[in-house]
Amino acid sequence: MFPRGAAFPEGFSSIIKKRHTILRCIRDFFDQRGYIEVETPLRIRCPGFDPYIDAIPAGTGFYLAPSPELQMKRLLSLGINRIYQITRAFRANEHGPHHNSEFTMLEWYRTETDYLGILDETEELIAYLINAVDGAALSDYLPLPRMTVSDVYRKLTGWDPCATWDEERYFRDWVEKIDLWLQQQRGLFLLDFPAPLASLARISRHDPNRCERFELFIDGLEICNAFTELTDPAEHVRRFQSAQDKRRMMGKEMYPADTGFMEFIESREMPQAGGIALGIDRLMMALFGISDIEMVLAFPVSRL
Amino acid sequence: MIDTSDIRKNLKLLIDGDPWVVVDFQFVKPGKGQAFTRTRLKNMITGSVVERNYRSGEKLEEAHIDEREMVFLYSQGDTYTFMDNTTYDQVEIPSEQLGDAVHFLTENMNVEVLFFNGRPIGISLPNFVNLEIVDTEPATKGDTVSGATKPAKLSTGYTLNVPLFVNTGDWIVVDTRTGEYVERVKK
Repeated sequence: MFPRGAAFPEGFSSIIKKRHTILRCIRDFFDQRGYIEVETPLRIRCPGFDPYIDAIPAGTGFYLAPSPELQMKRLLSLGINRIYQITRAFRANEHGPHHNSEFTMLEWYRTETDYLGILDETEELIAYLINAVDGAALSDYLPLPRMTVSDVYRKLTGWDPCATWDEERYFRDWVEKIDLWLQQQRGLFLLDFPAPLASLARISRHDPNRCERFELFIDGLEICNAFTELTDPAEHVRRFQSAQDKRRMMGKEMYPADTGFMEFIESREMPQAGGIALGIDRLMMALFGISDIEMVLAFPVSRL
Repeated sequence: MIDTSDIRKNLKLLIDGDPWVVVDFQFVKPGKGQAFTRTRLKNMITGSVVERNYRSGEKLEEAHIDEREMVFLYSQGDTYTFMDNTTYDQVEIPSEQLGDAVHFLTENMNVEVLFFNGRPIGISLPNFVNLEIVDTEPATKGDTVSGATKPAKLSTGYTLNVPLFVNTGDWIVVDTRTGEYVERVKK
C-alpha cells in the first residue's frame, strides 16, 4: 500500500489521469441527458438540516458548505428541470480511510421523478463509467441487488427499526452488525430508511414509518444518498426544528435557519423532484478497488 | 479527559483500571447518522485483545505510561532483568509480559521499559535491531535467484527467513514490528 506522507505515492500520475477521465465522463453522461451544470457557493450562511453533520466555520457568520443541497433546490424554481454539479463539500471532524474533511461531490436533481427514478439513473451512470474507464474491479458486481433497511435489520438483528424506532439501538446495530455485513457484500442498494432518518426525503406513500431514500454501498463503502425530495413547507419546519433539538441535546453548535431556502419552500415553487449526492472520491475507490481515500486524493489533509 | 477525536494508533487508554493500547481504529459514520470510532484494543498487562466501539464525542481516559530507558542485563528462566544506567535500579519482567519482544532481546541492548503505576508492564524495542545468525544452511555460491529465502536461527532462538547469501555468524538487521529480515550488516 502507498505510504502516508508528504510525497506523492508511486505511480500517482495514473490516479490523476483516472480522475480526469471520471470527471469528463460524468459531465458527458449528464450533458447527453440534457442536464445543466450549475454552480453554488462554497461559503454559505446556513449549513443545513443534518444534526450529525458539523460544518467548518469560514469567517463570522459563514461556513464552508457541507453540501450544495439547499442552493441547488432553489435553482429548480427557475424551470430548469435537470441540474447537476461537481463541487467540493466540507465536513468537520471526519477523518479516516473513508473520510477526508474536504471531498468532491456530484449532486444532481431531476424534476417529475422520485428516488426510484434516480436509482435507475445511478445504475446507468455507474455502468457508463465502468464501460468508459475499464473499471474491471466493479464490472462483475452488476447488476447491484436492492434490499430495504427493514429486510436487512430483520435478517441481521432480528428487529425492524421502521416498525419500532429506537435510535440508540439502530446506530449501535449499524456499527456492530450492519456495517460489518455491508463490507462483505459486493454492491447493494439499501432502500426505504426509517422515517426519523428522512432528513429531507419524502415520507413513503405506502408506509408512514419509512421514507423514500436510498443509499448505494460498494464493499461496505457508502457511495451516495438519494431522496424523493420533500416539498411540503410545514414538514420542512418540523424537520428543521427536530434537527435543532437534536443538536441542542448533543450540546452542539446551533446553526441558523436558512431563511432564503425556507421562503422558497413556503412559496411552493419547489417542484416534485428526485435528488442525489454521490461522493466522487469514494466512487473512484470503488471503481479501482482502492481502500484508502488518501490514495485517490492528490492533497489529502496529511499531504498538505 | 480526551475524546474519540484523539484516538490514534498506540494511544494508551485507561479502562476499568487497566492500561489498553489502541492497535487499530476506524472512523465509522453511517449516512445521516451518529458517528462511531471502532477500535481494536490490547490490554497492556494481559495481552488480551478486544474490539470496542465508541460514539463520537464520548470521553475517554488516557492511561499514563512512563517510559524509562534501561539496558537488558540477562534472563533467568522466565524472568528478564533490566537496569537503569544512571540510577542502577533494576527491574524484573516475566517473559509472558514481554510477548514477542523476547525474540529480539540481546544482552546490553537499550530498550524503553514501560511503567504503569510504578510497576513495569512491558518494553518498547527499537524498530530495528542487529542480531547474529547462529544456524542456517551454508550460502550457495553464485546463487543470485532474487527473492529466494531459507530459514535461519538467531542467537535469541528466534527463527526467520533470510536470503540465500546469508551465512551462520553473519549479523542482520531485523524489523522488530514485523519480525522480518531487513538487510545484512556490513562488517
